[in-house]
Amino acid sequence: MAKKLRGEFFILSANDLRTGEVVFLTEKGWSVNSSEATIIKIDQVDKFQAISDRDEKKCIIVSSKFVELDENRKIKSLRDKIRNSGLTFKI
Amino acid sequence: MYKYSEKDKSIIESRTKQFKNQVQRRLNGQLSEEEFKPLRLMNGLYLQLHAYMLRVAIPYGELSSSQLRKLAFIAEKFDRGYGHFTTRQNIQFNWPKLPDVPDILHELSKVEMHAIQTSGNCIRNISSDHLAGITIDEIEDPRPWCEIIRQWSTFHPEFSFLPRKFKIAVIGSKKDRAAMLVHDIGLRLIKKDKEIGFEVFVGGGQGRTPIIAKKIKNFLQKKDLLNYLEAILNTYNQEGRRDNIYKARIKILVKELGIEKFKLLVDENFKKLSDKNLEIDKVSIDKIFSFFTLPELKPNSHKVQIHKNKEYNEWVTQNTLSHKVSGYSIVHISLKSANHPPGDISSQQMMALSKISEDFSFSEIRVTHEQNLILPHVENKNIYKLWIELKKLSLATPNIGLISDTICCPGMDYCALATARSIPISQKISNHFKSFSDQKILGDLKIKISGCINACGHHHVGNIGILGLDRNGQEFYQITLGGSAKEDASIGEIVGPSFPESKLIDAINTILNTYKKNKKKKTEDFLSVFRRVGIKEFKKDLYDNT
Amino acid sequence: MIILNKRHEKENEYKKINDRDFLDRKFFDGAILNLAQWVEIKKEFKNKKVKIGIEFSSNECSSSNESSMSEISLIQIKFETFKDGRPFTFARNLRKKYGYKGEIRATGHILPDQYIFLIRCGFDSVEIAESDKDIWIEFLNMDNGLYYQP
Ligand code: SF4
Repeated sequence: MAKKLRGEFFILSANDLRTGEVVFLTEKGWSVNSSEATIIKIDQVDKFQAISDRDEKKCIIVSSKFVELDENRKIKSLRDKIRNSGLTFKI
Repeated sequence: MYKYSEKDKSIIESRTKQFKNQVQRRLNGQLSEEEFKPLRLMNGLYLQLHAYMLRVAIPYGELSSSQLRKLAFIAEKFDRGYGHFTTRQNIQFNWPKLPDVPDILHELSKVEMHAIQTSGNCIRNISSDHLAGITIDEIEDPRPWCEIIRQWSTFHPEFSFLPRKFKIAVIGSKKDRAAMLVHDIGLRLIKKDKEIGFEVFVGGGQGRTPIIAKKIKNFLQKKDLLNYLEAILNTYNQEGRRDNIYKARIKILVKELGIEKFKLLVDENFKKLSDKNLEIDKVSIDKIFSFFTLPELKPNSHKVQIHKNKEYNEWVTQNTLSHKVSGYSIVHISLKSANHPPGDISSQQMMALSKISEDFSFSEIRVTHEQNLILPHVENKNIYKLWIELKKLSLATPNIGLISDTICCPGMDYCALATARSIPISQKISNHFKSFSDQKILGDLKIKISGCINACGHHHVGNIGILGLDRNGQEFYQITLGGSAKEDASIGEIVGPSFPESKLIDAINTILNTYKKNKKKKTEDFLSVFRRVGIKEFKKDLYDNT
Repeated sequence: MIILNKRHEKENEYKKINDRDFLDRKFFDGAILNLAQWVEIKKEFKNKKVKIGIEFSSNECSSSNESSMSEISLIQIKFETFKDGRPFTFARNLRKKYGYKGEIRATGHILPDQYIFLIRCGFDSVEIAESDKDIWIEFLNMDNGLYYQP
């Protein structure tokens, strides 16, 4: 996974295995709040991948991925933005 | 409507139990995600962008009022109060929690519903004509055949791990209202020398390589239906490509081998593998047919009521059709009101509709592949009363078949595979083309929108197709013209470079102006004009002066 | 690993032949050959019943590798992934098209959730980890014998 990554800074995201909710890795564990997410530099990716693998094995999360940040340390891609903030229209 | 036998019941119950076991094993780590995924998919459970998504089968689009009520209950109790009807006559719930899913399936099983084979690389829910059994132009009702195929394909021991998903549609009229020709197998009931049988098409599909299905058999006898399907599936399961997910559908196999060679393989399998026990005899056919009789309709001479209310008149002309029994109408309920995500319906609306169907339509509701609903048997004399009720629920938008009746996939707002959003585009279109009279001038016009090349929004077969793309992180929309999903099916042609969202409505307007200006008679619709003048005219107006 | 035949564990009477023995043509009772080896020596066994097995990878389960293998007492199919459905058709075709009567065994990446399907397509036995035995049997016990297909 790490090989394919482009960019410099990331946060680690996944879905909660039970609820399916989008979660982010923070200092205190997984949280739905992306603003608390630990910022990860490209050279730390392997270390965080290991954390993610461990938590996936422990059946806490599923489908983890590194979310790329832009130069302002904000989520870069539209998909990840929508994933973080929800539907772009009212239901 | 079909009623479960004891056997159906125990099969569904045992699957529900089995899935409960699988979810348990997933939650306690005995199954890895890689192992669980195909198992959950076979029970309709996806992991989408924000959450899990459960797709519930509505076999050939038929719902009873109690089933609809149950769907409302599930949306309310286990989800966020709404559901979404798809282009294959299913319903999706967007926010279920994994430990709740076995309970949802249990609830569904109480009303003879399930989520089996709504996803995964297996034979999917069979789709059909939403006017089956109620339209005059029908040779035979396709629904019993769908049910026969549903049973045969459910938990098929040999065909549950195919190279890719497999979709079958059955229709009973010359007219195709089920996009039959873009299915892996399409079956059309036809009559030859007084005998009714099937015309068989194979290898249609959309996605990255859109292809119109080829005819593989001119006339298949009814008794041989299942053996012939097995012969096709057997050939596909062995020879279909498994090295590349984009080349794994049967359409690629048929294309690579050529239809003649493919037919030879199928015929040989049919000869060697046909099983007497799979032949369908008259008794079992009759038995299945006995479930699909009309309710007790009383033919009468009442005409559809006219009323001085303009809105009502618009709705009646656009959203109702005559039933094959005189004195009754088929009423379309549009799920495409302006600014509304196409195909979405709230639990309150479902609940209320369930009651309405009991009062007005013999407790029957249907789902169309165009993401609308139908009340199949409404007495003409009750139509105005029905309209009042629907209006209260915001379910009386008069736009069936018009430009704002878009087909639209969930796109990037929900779907993990999307390259762009599609719902906001459809909302823009429905907002821009709100006026009924403006839409009427444009006539029959199908806009279909997909959020990626997978084409769940059927863009290839839209008269105007819109495909969302990602251009360096920006949403762009490619337009195709001239597609059709009907009996004259065709794949749309790309008109030229794509447009950013901000220019899309202008582009559509230009296209519509080209249409209007080339129209020879008032009634000439968009597709006919396009086919007559060709894409060049449209290209010129769209790109030449920019 | 153990061999499970329906609900019962049975002794594994087969073992893969090593290259040395194959080159020396030492075909002991219960040797399992791979497909290439079988193709090479097939003629020698024509019309002789032997206690020999062939192993097919699921990748090799295409119609071009189907043929009458009535000499052989075991056909072992190794699933590269449980998602590869070719062996289901392969086994069924061996039984139906060629009337194969010997044992068909599944090995490799298979799930207990597939046990009933395997058996219904003509497999007799599976090779699985001993620790998984109970769950495999549990899945078989969930089978209520009600199917839509003959
Ligand atoms: S077309 Fe693409 S974006 Fe739309 S639902 Fe299908 S996979 Fe998702």
